Amino acid sequence: MPAASPPSPMALNIASPTPSMFKKRSSQTLAPMTSAASYLSALSQADARARNSREKTPTSTPALSLSSSITSSSEDTVLNESDLDNNADGLALPARPPTSEQVFTTVHTEFGHCANEAYRLTSQHTPGEPVPAHVEQDPPYYILLSTYISYLILIVIGHIRDFVGKRFSPKSYTHLMPRNGYAPLNSDFDSFYTRRLKTRMDECFSQPVTGVAGRTILLLDRISPDYNHTQILTGTRTRALNISSYNYLGFAQARGGCADAVEESIKRCGVSTCGARLTGGSSDLHTVAEALVAQFVGMEDALISSMGFATNSAYIPALVGKGCLVISDELNHASIRFGTRLSGAHVRMFKHNDMGSLESLLREVISQGQPKTHRPWKKILLIVEGLYSMEGTLLNLPGILELKKKYKFYLWVDEAHSIGALGPHGRGVCDYFGINPRSVDILMGTFTKSFGAAGGYIAGDKTMIDHLRVHGHLGPYGEAMTPPVLTQIVASMASIMGIANPGAPSSTSGAVVPIDTPASHPGPAKQSDLPAWLNLPPQLSSGAEGRSRLRRLAFNSRYLHRGLIKLGFITYGHPASPIVPLLLFNPGKMCMFHRMMKDRQTPIIVVVVAYPATPLVTSRVRFCVSAAHTKEDVDTVLRACDEVGDVLDLKHGIKKRERWDIEKIVNSAAELAAV
Amino acid sequence: MASSSTSLEPLFAFLATSLSKLEYAFNKLPGSAVIQRYVRSSHQNDPGRTILELILVIFAIRTLMQSRTRADRAEKHFIQFSDKEIDELVDEWTPEPLGPALSAAEQAELAAVPVVVGPNGPKPRLASTGKTATNVASFNFTGLAGNEHIQQRAVETLRKYGLGSCGPPGFYGTLDVHMDLERDIADFLGTEAAILYSQGFSTISSVIPAFCKRGDIIVADRGISFAIHKGIQISRSTVRWYDHNDLRSLEEVLESVEKERRKRKGPLTRRFIITEGIFEKDGAMVDLPKLIEIKYKYKYRLILDESFSFGTVGRTGRGLTELYNVPAEKVDMLVGSVAIGLCSSGGFCAGSQTVVDHQRINGPSFVFSASMPGLLAVSASEGINILRSTPSILTTLQENIRAARAILDRVDCISIPSHPASPIIHISIRSPSSTSLHPASAALSPVKPSNPASPLPRDAGTWDWDVEAEERLLQDVVEEALAQGVMITKAKRLRGQETVEARPSIRLAMSSALTKKETEKAVTVVKNALVKVLGRRR
Ligand SMILES: Cc1ncc(COP(=O)(O)O)c(C=O)c1O
Repeated sequence: MPAASPPSPMALNIASPTPSMFKKRSSQTLAPMTSAASYLSALSQADARARNSREKTPTSTPALSLSSSITSSSEDTVLNESDLDNNADGLALPARPPTSEQVFTTVHTEFGHCANEAYRLTSQHTPGEPVPAHVEQDPPYYILLSTYISYLILIVIGHIRDFVGKRFSPKSYTHLMPRNGYAPLNSDFDSFYTRRLKTRMDECFSQPVTGVAGRTILLLDRISPDYNHTQILTGTRTRALNISSYNYLGFAQARGGCADAVEESIKRCGVSTCGARLTGGSSDLHTVAEALVAQFVGMEDALISSMGFATNSAYIPALVGKGCLVISDELNHASIRFGTRLSGAHVRMFKHNDMGSLESLLREVISQGQPKTHRPWKKILLIVEGLYSMEGTLLNLPGILELKKKYKFYLWVDEAHSIGALGPHGRGVCDYFGINPRSVDILMGTFTKSFGAAGGYIAGDKTMIDHLRVHGHLGPYGEAMTPPVLTQIVASMASIMGIANPGAPSSTSGAVVPIDTPASHPGPAKQSDLPAWLNLPPQLSSGAEGRSRLRRLAFNSRYLHRGLIKLGFITYGHPASPIVPLLLFNPGKMCMFHRMMKDRQTPIIVVVVAYPATPLVTSRVRFCVSAAHTKEDVDTVLRACDEVGDVLDLKHGIKKRERWDIEKIVNSAAELAAV
Repeated sequence: MASSSTSLEPLFAFLATSLSKLEYAFNKLPGSAVIQRYVRSSHQNDPGRTILELILVIFAIRTLMQSRTRADRAEKHFIQFSDKEIDELVDEWTPEPLGPALSAAEQAELAAVPVVVGPNGPKPRLASTGKTATNVASFNFTGLAGNEHIQQRAVETLRKYGLGSCGPPGFYGTLDVHMDLERDIADFLGTEAAILYSQGFSTISSVIPAFCKRGDIIVADRGISFAIHKGIQISRSTVRWYDHNDLRSLEEVLESVEKERRKRKGPLTRRFIITEGIFEKDGAMVDLPKLIEIKYKYKYRLILDESFSFGTVGRTGRGLTELYNVPAEKVDMLVGSVAIGLCSSGGFCAGSQTVVDHQRINGPSFVFSASMPGLLAVSASEGINILRSTPSILTTLQENIRAARAILDRVDCISIPSHPASPIIHISIRSPSSTSLHPASAALSPVKPSNPASPLPRDAGTWDWDVEAEERLLQDVVEEALAQGVMITKAKRLRGQETVEARPSIRLAMSSALTKKETEKAVTVVKNALVKVLGRRR
């Protein structure tokens, strides 16, 4: 990326009559970090200018910024002063103060300020390049062995403690034993794993938080006086760098155009639509959002449901049933398993993302037909995910479509993690590979991740979607999505797409790079298709910020991925994936890793996962990169991993002499990510 | 403890026999020589260690096996084909269409679904007519939709938390406002704890499989809702059914289950009674005190779905437990809907700390789904505050229900199975013939008790109504009412997917947001529409 490329749209460039005093002041701030107070005033002035310029744009409805009256505008992009004065964790202020030209419209702790255009990439498949299958890199034998031994010790000690405990402290086992003629809710055997393994690591799970799950997050500190049986909140809070939330495009924000729109919608439409879609809970916002989703993913029609999990579990049974076959990737999400089990269809699994295994399975099931009767299957539905949440594997969509031509199965792609996160236009795996989305039968996805909302969608041809509207479980029985959530979806999605003809051309529209949309992606949203009261600020409606978010995410993903590999770690997944799993193997290292990351000067919170969410040996930490992270944030994570990795002996990837020093990685981030 | 040592015995026996086989297979593995040397030397020093390690290997193998469903290849039904034959079979095979087109009636009904423009509430504006209508279709029982205080709190929360939580509760998705709402619900109901799910519909179908496993016994009402059916289906437990809202039948079934168990000398398994507070299917209400008595007598746990009674009955809307003055602790798992009862989103399960903690690890849609947006949790908390502090809301609601029933109960071409206090009123068509026949058949049938293994009611064979015709008639009523400015809806069903097909009905949802006058006016319109459409029938 050449340095002379257009400036970041997140940094509004406003050629406004700058007060000279301000200019002088901010040129001073170019020197290494000045006091928090000067930073605050610089930002608030810049922010005020941005607001003024925004209000100047002619609008048909009252400017939304007027509605955010609860807080003063200076609070909009920075924190309250007490937070600024205490920047010891390095999270409250950007590494580089903004120049006089840069006005950031986001709050740095929610969405990091990063103006350097070198740290941008496009998420796109290189034609001709094979799609990597899921490769599992084995650690040295001693790691495997010690992992097994760790589990062995845990299990043996657990059983010994149970054995002894039941004799000396029967009281603590009463709830696991039959009592007064009631069988225990959870027998000691069923709950062994939970009691003896998970409880030891409970400090890594269910951490309560507060505030926005953006670039940083506020942890509610807790302690456990009794080995994790109870957790007590201490009342203090810690701000930590958040590399765990599924906030791929950074739309988890309490400030900014989307939040303003949500506020407007709450005032206009309330918080609920009171009922199921078919029985009095439908609103015009649903219609708008569904049409927009259909356009976004490039399908004829779409439906929206109020929960991502239920989108799988309640709509799969409406498509397949007895006499049908569901072929499911072995690592598919629990919601897919739930749905297929409810459907009554026969289920077969194939090896994770392995086209060979899939084809041989297809040949077997089609030739054999239904079990025992050998009647042909009514339908075969293949259910896969676009991006796997624990592995970071990218679906081999070209391979699957090749098979689909020959074997005529229907294809359901769960894009929970890939929608928004992949592709030059953020439209998921099809976009990433440059494939027409209509070659897939059903695109399902969720709004919980990239869009910072909640719920899910299903897109496909109109006949099928109408069928699902009437015959899916949620149509008559599930609550409809609420207006604030719908608005967040519409606003964030429209800002990724850009809005064609957004009111009147504003001063920033000159900076808009023409969008090269293939025919399958019908490009920007039409203003007339959106609610009339939706009034996004120019940097959102032009699509510039959306594009910048996509490109920041693509850069951050590749940078973290490549950086970790160069440091010598074993990682899984595709380099374009914002999910980056780092293998820990030993269960004991999970807690240590978690704690060592959290206890750093810049606390970092991570997600650690182990058996049963993963195979026994491959315990891992899973990073979820976001567009909200700055390059410096990824540096921070890499530095932390480097240090912790040395202490915990985690570097078992590439050979020592091929590894790079952390400084070299940090200094050549752009080249590293772009290879 | 005795059970654990006996369960270990066969394990050791198995270990001994498979040891030699294992050794052989092991020698073939790459790198096995190293391990072998290691094991051998360690065995010399400490033979006990070898056994421990072997247990581990077995454990590893077991987990590997568990994670896959084995191919059916080994089955005796497998037919060997050549590659060419397979290719031909593949070419020949044509699948059915994925989503068949809707029938004309379904299509018309889908097009007639009311769409509200702007906020929903007692008098929403409809997209189809462009005019406002009186709403007796949507779930706004206590008028919380459109409450300005709630909206203001929602906006404040938005400005602090943003919208989405971007993570499941286990991984940084637990907000303090979620914990607050859980505590608010638990305090409101008087239970030890509560757990919040992000969708009302998915709550019960996650709560049931969290507790009920294969081999456990569920005794359920025949009239339970679709969502509960799904939960029972996924649990794979043994199910016995009792007659709808008939606690005598429940006792009979419990007796027979106990007899069966004693006969088979089976082990003590978990046993659950699953029913609803106010039934979604017909608005009937369960006799909670009697039910509690039975559950204690037979030592069952009670899973009570209060989706339609929480926030709608009782002095302050606490539900059946308040109405009958039964401590909520006596219900083991009390499931409710935040979406329906509090006009927000999500659902909850209240119970003891153990019950709640268990679900935090085992409730599928709790563990594997993102937590609900913070502002919806705060809206619900505010809803509880309002209900607590304003008992007059519930009084108004009950008055409106009474007013509606006073009008509808006098119409003789319909029958209303709903309880007089139920905020949902189901109206179904009274078959002209069965008006006289029905009591007689009811008097005859007790001779033949229903089969507890079948979810179908015993009189299912005598059901003579024409579902399609009745659906059409009722849809005419809906449209007639809408033409008069009253928005009502049929109780939509998933015909073909329901375990028991419910008789078509219109479902009115009462609201305290309407005055008694408005309610009476709206219900009179419904009555007139019913009389007009059903009168034409003859
Ligand atoms: C593949 C997949 N599908 C569905 C879901 C469920 O989505 P939601 O969290 O919105 O319920 C998830 C969430 O983790 C997922 O990973």
